[in-house]
Amino acid sequence: MNTDRSLLNGHAASPAPGSGLSIELHTTASAIAIPTIRTVAADLAARADFDLDSIDDLRMAVDDVCAMLVGIAVLNATLSCCFTVRTDRIELAAEVDADALAGPLPTKSFGWRVLESLTNEVSVQYLPGVQGQGGKVCITLTKDAVAVPQT
Amino acid sequence: MTSPGASTAATRDGEYAHLVPVQRRYAELASDDPDRQRLREQLINGYRPMAEHIARRFAGRGEPLDDLVQVATMGLINAVDRFEPDRGSDFFSFAVPTITGEVRRYFRDHGWSTRVPRRLKDLHIAIRGTLAELSQQLGRAPRPSEIAVRLELPVAEVIEGLRAGDAYRSSSLDEMLGSGEGSATLGELMGGLDSDLALIDDREALRPLLAGLAPRERTILTLRFFRQMTQTQIADQVGISQMHVSRVLRQTLADLRARMSIPD
Repeated sequence: MNTDRSLLNGHAASPAPGSGLSIELHTTASAIAIPTIRTVAADLAARADFDLDSIDDLRMAVDDVCAMLVGIAVLNATLSCCFTVRTDRIELAAEVDADALAGPLPTKSFGWRVLESLTNEVSVQYLPGVQGQGGKVCITLTKDAVAVPQT
Repeated sequence: MTSPGASTAATRDGEYAHLVPVQRRYAELASDDPDRQRLREQLINGYRPMAEHIARRFAGRGEPLDDLVQVATMGLINAVDRFEPDRGSDFFSFAVPTITGEVRRYFRDHGWSTRVPRRLKDLHIAIRGTLAELSQQLGRAPRPSEIAVRLELPVAEVIEGLRAGDAYRSSSLDEMLGSGEGSATLGELMGGLDSDLALIDDREALRPLLAGLAPRERTILTLRFFRQMTQTQIADQVGISQMHVSRVLRQTLADLRARMSIPD
């Protein structure tokens, strides 16, 4: 089955009992789609009554995640973003078919550091490709509705 | 008739049935008949709930309901004056499109392009006016619901107002990127930039880039990403608004990325 070859199972793709609102976006893996995706993210956060900092953080994080995935996507790939709105938290699982030459995402970079600052949790998973193909790369993140100020 | 919410599709025919003979008589009278004016008023008053019903369907789009009712009533008067029962159609199938058309035209002429953004702009300014005080009280940025309570507005309207600000901000960001990079699009810069950011594995390598920033930009970036402060805390410390912090963060990050994507 095709859906077996995805890291998105268990995220928004299969709503569990008691789970929140889930929204899936499947777009061309292109920079053109990113403003739409981040607008959806910000809108979900605003409607979930996130504080303004957290809305903005999520918007920027989604922007970064999508830009990273678009950057490693194979030609004509689909970018899949599954948002799940839970009580005081939004989860995102974003996945793309990656180019075999792209290599792993730079999780020691400044860009990743920024992403960690903007979110409560962020991680990347890889599903190896078969016969030299690139496989799938999935970034998952969670963002809480209220930023707890660090003192 | 005093309850404008009472007219629904189900009760409509019954509710207005008594007007059908009035209508017929009105159509039959000569145009100079003294009774005509009285019947005309009776028809207009009788059908007024229908006009109000239609007006309410356009409420919440940035125009006051009173104005919409007035416009819809104008449409109703036109419909009453122009309706010809001999043509075979009933009054509703003539009046509803006439009234709806009148309201739509009103939006087209007076509404969409100017007043709605203006309203959102005002709303956005009102929202901004609450931010400093609420942030101070809460020790963090307010939620839309908290702003709504302060402004005594529905949360949905606050969200709308916030979105107006987003549109303003994202377009200015795009502008800045466009002028800096000639043909480069926002997306090209963002896509290219993270792979370049990957080259920077530690703060040492980032230091020259950070040093190249204006002092305030550098401070804001450092506070946000190395001291993990929230935008609201930074705003407080630096003495500018949270929205300004947000704008500076985005522009600075985009700027850093853009410069990294250009080989030295």
